[in-house]
Order: sequence, then structure tokens, then C-alpha cells
Amino acid sequence: MKRLLGVALGVLTAIGGFLDIGDLVTNAVVGSRFGMSLTWAVLLGVVGICLFAQMAGRVTAVSGRATFEIIRERLGPRASGTNLVASFLINLLTLTAEIGGVALALQLASSVEPRLWIPVAAFAVWVVVWRAKFEVLEDVTGLLGLTLLVFAVSVVLLDPDWAHLAHTAAAPQIPATEGAASYFYYAIALFGAAMTPYEVFFFSSGAVEEKWGPKDISQSRINVLVGFPLGGLLSLSIAACATLVFLPQQIEVSTLSQVVLPVAEAGGKLALAFVLVGIVAATFGASLETTLSAGYTIAQFFGWSWGKFRRPSQAPGFHVVMIACLLVGAGVLMTDVDPVRVTEFSVVFSAVALPLTYLPILLVANDPEYMGDQVNGRVLNGLALVFLVLILAASLAAIPLMIATGAGA
Amino acid sequence: MSPRVRPRPPVPADLPELPTSLRGAGRVLDARLHLLDRQILDVDDVPVTTLDDLLVLTADGGELTTGEQPAFVDQLLTGPVLATRVFGGRPPASRWVRIPWADVTDVGVAVTLGVRGEGLDATWVQRWLRDHVIARIPGGRHDPG
Repeated sequence: MKRLLGVALGVLTAIGGFLDIGDLVTNAVVGSRFGMSLTWAVLLGVVGICLFAQMAGRVTAVSGRATFEIIRERLGPRASGTNLVASFLINLLTLTAEIGGVALALQLASSVEPRLWIPVAAFAVWVVVWRAKFEVLEDVTGLLGLTLLVFAVSVVLLDPDWAHLAHTAAAPQIPATEGAASYFYYAIALFGAAMTPYEVFFFSSGAVEEKWGPKDISQSRINVLVGFPLGGLLSLSIAACATLVFLPQQIEVSTLSQVVLPVAEAGGKLALAFVLVGIVAATFGASLETTLSAGYTIAQFFGWSWGKFRRPSQAPGFHVVMIACLLVGAGVLMTDVDPVRVTEFSVVFSAVALPLTYLPILLVANDPEYMGDQVNGRVLNGLALVFLVLILAASLAAIPLMIATGAGA
Repeated sequence: MSPRVRPRPPVPADLPELPTSLRGAGRVLDARLHLLDRQILDVDDVPVTTLDDLLVLTADGGELTTGEQPAFVDQLLTGPVLATRVFGGRPPASRWVRIPWADVTDVGVAVTLGVRGEGLDATWVQRWLRDHVIARIPGGRHDPG
């Protein structure tokens, strides 16, 4: 019974923790401009993150080594240093966007200006990272994030033409009003939003934090294989809400208040309250994950002591990095940049940095020195290789498409 | 029958007779593959640093100049030497942060030392950050939760 509860809790937190500001914004923007015609990109991203998050977790559970230690060991100082700089900057950008998301959601709830919320949000993130137990922070934000299921409920309440919706998703066509370059630009953004590298750093380091051994692999597999696809379904319901409300009116989503508008329209104040709690939980949870990931990547690259299971004084460099990142993120937000724009850039740059993160995981998952008899099977390797090609293509196309489309404008 | 003490054969003078054939020679470690850039853990499995470089000496203690001489790993290096592995060049010997190979007890997916990391030169930056920043913030010395 306890084990069953554990499985349920894991799955629920995986669903609630799947969405972050990147998924919220990108899916709503895409829904309002392209309808459901980019469903395939979300699905690809979900399969990709399942594949590699599970692999990274398994490598860590078996070998005890977290992802960035492996990146460093396999790629050497130059290539892994490049990856560190890129991943770290993107992570910082994502962290900034997430804290901005918390502030925007709190603004929607309170009408207090976001710049007053930003220091509060950043401080709250630090207090949790400084003092709370790892399991607690993961479970609480994950479970509260489940209130985002209200997006799925809203789709039903909006009473769509299901056959039409399914048809546009299954037989995608580029809308007549949009160019092919923008279409593929947003495909990469959705792919990047689902596969952001920080999730893998967080997932594998979390396996160390929670002291996983080979016994825990099956549990983590269930969490990922059930939780993430359901999280992906939530992503799609955000896109569907935007499709139903904004696409016919030709309104392009550009603020967080527009993201939640369909929910308010479908379910009234109660639904709005749910969605605001959900967005605060999701962005706050992702702020924690990105802050921790910043510490994890740097500490693992340099071989410092890290982890929330240690006292801060036993992992000083790790905590200093996180404090510095929070200060920088909050500082950038105080200059009044639009967190939604920051988000859009962060997901696309994520796509650029993906190959250098996922290749070493795949290499080590096949190394018997690390994995013993738990090396990847043939089917998994085949799938992973297909995805590596896709990731590489997305990574190479991202910047040219960004320039060609003026960042999707 | 009195027990006979057999004198141990003297250590041959030509000690650096490392196996010329790799066949059947037990575990062979490739310095680049199995040592460089691996995590170094202390005796309590606490991360110390990453193995950034190796000091390899010839049998008579001189510097290694050609690939043919028999040689051994004398020190694990870390610290500023990492920057020179990325950008090229070589820091002066006074800037090397060393861990003697004699402290190594195990080489696996990480390199394990038989000493505590606390007192090592390799962890001084961490100690400085701890004493000057982290320990001064309330709660810094307590367990989370």
C-alpha cells in the first residue's frame, strides 16, 4: 500500500512538475497562431524527454554519478566547458523567466505590480533552497501544480468541435496567415520547451539527492513514462484553450493574462483561482529546479561538494552559485524586461544547447564500466539515436530561423 | 623438520619492468579515459574536486619527454591547471594544487582517496566560501528541514 502511494505521488508530482513558464507561454502562443497544427512537436518533445530523463536517472541510480560529472568526464574540459557556459546561461535565462512568471501570476491574483513581487519571489525561492528538504519541495510544488488540470477541464467546458480539433492535430497544415519559417521556429520552441536541459540535470541530481539505487529504477520509470505524457497532455490543453478562444479572433497571445483568459471564460472565477494557484506553483517549482540546476551543473563540473541533503556549510560553493544566480535573475527582472519575451528566447536557446547534453548521457548509458549489465538495449539506443538526429537538426536550425523570422514575429 | 625461513628474493634493480604485453596483465587503466576529468571523492565519499591533470614522472623522477620511457603517475593535479587544459599553456609549478597518488585507494567511475577532503589544498576555495559567506548566513550550519 505504501509502495502504491509512493508510485501515485511520484506520478502526480511528475505531472504537476512537468509544466513551467516555457510550456505555458509557448503553448498558448502557438495555439493562438497555429491552432493545434503543432501537436506533433509537443508529442516529439515529450517522447524525447521521457527517453533521456529516464536514461539520465538510470545512469545516476546505477553509477552514482550525476549528469554533469558524466558530461565533463566524457567530453573533456573544452567541449564540456562550452556546454557548461551555454547550459548555465540558458538556465539563468530560464530562472529569470520563471521568477518573472511567479511575479506575473501573483500580480494577476493581487493587482500588485510585478516589480514588488520579484524580490519577494526570489527571496522565497532562496529560503526554500536554503532550508527545505528536497523531497518536500518536489512534492509540494508538484501536487499544487496539478491544479493546472483546470486547463483540460476548460477545454471540455468550451465545448469544442472535437472532430475538427483532432483533425487539425492529426493532419497538420501551416495556417494560410503564417509562413513556413515561423511554423518551424515555433516547432523548435515547443520541442525545446519540453526538452529543456535543466530538467535532465535536475532529474539526475535529484536521483543522488534521494539516494536512488538500482532498486528505484522501475519506480522512476513509471513516474516518467506516465507522468510526463500526462504533463504533455496538459501542454496540449493549454494550446487547445488558446486555439478555441484566440485563433478565430486572430488575437496573438503576448501576456500571461491572455494565457489564463480562456480558463476564466470557460469556468469563471473559481477556475481562474485554480489556474493562478497552478501557475504560481508551476513557476515557483521550476524556479527551484532551475536554481538548483545552476548549482548542480557548476559544482559537478568543478567536482565540488553539492546537494541539498548536505548542510549548506558542507556544500558552500553550490550555495554561493545559487545565491548569485537568484540575485542576477531578480536584478535583470527589475529592469522591467518582459518575462514572456525572456521565456520565448530561453526555450529556443535551450534547443541550441541540447545535443551537447544528451550525447554524453547516451554514450555513458552504453558503457559497461558505469552501467554493468544495465546498459541500454537495442531498441532504446535506436530510438535515442533517432532523437539525437532530431535534436541536432533542431539545434542547427534554431538560430537561423530565429534571425529569419525575427524571433517568430 | 625445522621451519626454514626462505629469504625473499631481492627486489630486482630493474624495477620499472612494466608489462610490455597488455594481454593477461590485469586491469589496464588508460590515463585519459579512466583518470582525467573524473570526480575525486574523499574517504567519506564527499566530492573533493575533479581530476584536472596528472603529473607523470619517469622511473628516476625526471620529467617525461618521450612516450617510450616507463613512467608512473606521481600526483593528481587540480585548480588553475584546468584553465590551461582549456586554453593551452602551463601554469608554473608553484600554482599546482596537488594530491599525491599515494592517497588514491580506488579508481572506478570516480577516483577515491583514503584521506579526508577537509584538510586538502584542493578544497581551500570551498573552505574560504564556507567560513566567509555560507556559515555567516543564519541556518548555514544546520541540516535542511
